[in-house]
Amino acid sequence: MVKRNRLKTSTKIKYRTNKLGQTEVSFNWLYVLVAGGVILLFFFGVVMKQKAVAQNQLTADVVNILESILTGAGVSEKTKNIVNTGGLVDFTFYFHCEDGLGEYGIEGQNARAQIPIEPVFSPLRLKTAQMITLSLPYKLPFKVIDFLFVTSANTKYYLLGESSDFSIEFMNATQGFNVQKISVSQYPQIDPGKNFQIRFISLDGGGWLSQTIPLKIVQMEDSAVSAVVFTGTNQVDYYTKNGRSWEKMNQNTVSIISLGGERDAAKYAAIFSGDDKNYLCNMHKAFARLEFVNQIYSSKADGLVSAYQSNPLASATGGCLGYLREASENLNGKLGTFKVQNQVCLRQIGSCPELISTAQQLANLNMAMSSGCLPLY
Amino acid sequence: MVSSKPFRKRGQLHITETIAVLFIFFILIVFAIIFYYQYQKVSLKEKQQELLGKRAVETTLKTIFLPELICSRGDAEPEDNCFEVSKLEKAGGLIQQHTVDYYFNIFSYANITVQQIYPENEAKICCTYTKEITKTISDGKVVPGWSNRETSLFVVTLKEDRFEGEPSYGFGYLKVEVYS
Repeated sequence: MVKRNRLKTSTKIKYRTNKLGQTEVSFNWLYVLVAGGVILLFFFGVVMKQKAVAQNQLTADVVNILESILTGAGVSEKTKNIVNTGGLVDFTFYFHCEDGLGEYGIEGQNARAQIPIEPVFSPLRLKTAQMITLSLPYKLPFKVIDFLFVTSANTKYYLLGESSDFSIEFMNATQGFNVQKISVSQYPQIDPGKNFQIRFISLDGGGWLSQTIPLKIVQMEDSAVSAVVFTGTNQVDYYTKNGRSWEKMNQNTVSIISLGGERDAAKYAAIFSGDDKNYLCNMHKAFARLEFVNQIYSSKADGLVSAYQSNPLASATGGCLGYLREASENLNGKLGTFKVQNQVCLRQIGSCPELISTAQQLANLNMAMSSGCLPLY
Repeated sequence: MVSSKPFRKRGQLHITETIAVLFIFFILIVFAIIFYYQYQKVSLKEKQQELLGKRAVETTLKTIFLPELICSRGDAEPEDNCFEVSKLEKAGGLIQQHTVDYYFNIFSYANITVQQIYPENEAKICCTYTKEITKTISDGKVVPGWSNRETSLFVVTLKEDRFEGEPSYGFGYLKVEVYS
């Protein structure tokens, strides 16, 4: 009886053990599943976070590198740089300028940089494997600042018009750029190919704008087709494609504030600017700098006056004090007028052309002084 | 009652084992996080140093080509690596006067000086731009607040116009210190 009871108990124990084992095994699996899932989720989260961080890091690096390129290119006078941006071909760069403050960055990304001082003239958007920069000094009449022109290998420039000194000079200056000189009669046959955007540069007015836009150009996005038309001696108009016709972008006349001559930075700036706003905004930066540079030259002129006053013999030889202060048209007076005109120009961009005649007079006086006196610049 | 005792003991053993495994697992995770944090800290410091070095070079470049200082030659290209002494004397005051509203955007936190070393008898230091990072401590005293400084030196010629003959040239160096 006792034996039977023991046997019963033993069977009972065996039975209970099996049941507990089953519970334990399924609990372990469930536990492994949950824990594994949590660990997997954790690492998935880390990877996703890292991906976002890496993307942000890359765009920030790109903007940072571009900043260095622009700084280097901006200060090196008359230099042309072709920058390989093959790794950045998927990104679209934008260049804006508003209220005297420039900004560039990558579309759809947070990475951006502000350009409050340096004038950078470029198309509004660039998507390229090869970025091209050109730097020219802006002189009015003395050097004020360096202008930086940014464009790309896939931005095509069509130079329309008869051969002129400027067109020859422009073609020489932009060797390595995507520039083609065409006559107005070739305009209807234009094939833009695979270029990202095209820009027409018309040196002889906008008569050709009334012609039908070639079919291959009509197929391009409106914002990718633009034209800059030189209308007067120092005037320019901007146009953009609107369906099958041209639409003028600027409400008011856009003046080119320069003394002309070779490598006229202000004229080149008008050609490379995305639109009239971009052009005027960056020119505003130049006029802001002109205020300070003009002050330096005014102080230098005062210094020259003092030096000649203490050395009358040196002054008498070339009539230097006359150029500086005593003549009816003298450097000191002109520098004062220039300062006032520039201040008005900064407030009201329409009055900036007044600077041109004063700058020309300053240049003439400086030229006269350079034979026999110490020149101002 | 007799049979339940050994099972509870085995269950306790399993829980202890699980806790031990979890404990080691979390210890490993903590180690990994500490390692990653230290690595990031070091690489961030290196990156900061690299950026500061880059800024020093850029600031030097901008100063060398500053229209307010460069040696002009009429319509011709300006002379390379050359400052006009007469401009240098005037520019210091102008730049200091407009540091906040204009020149800070060019040079940021930096200290830019030009030291003349030849001719020796006229040796002088010209302070062009000064903007240091500062902080105010509890007693209201303003002390330097920067943690890193990078210095860049560049040899320049210093041109002085003369009434007769060619202008005279001295030598000096441009010292650019940038802070972060």
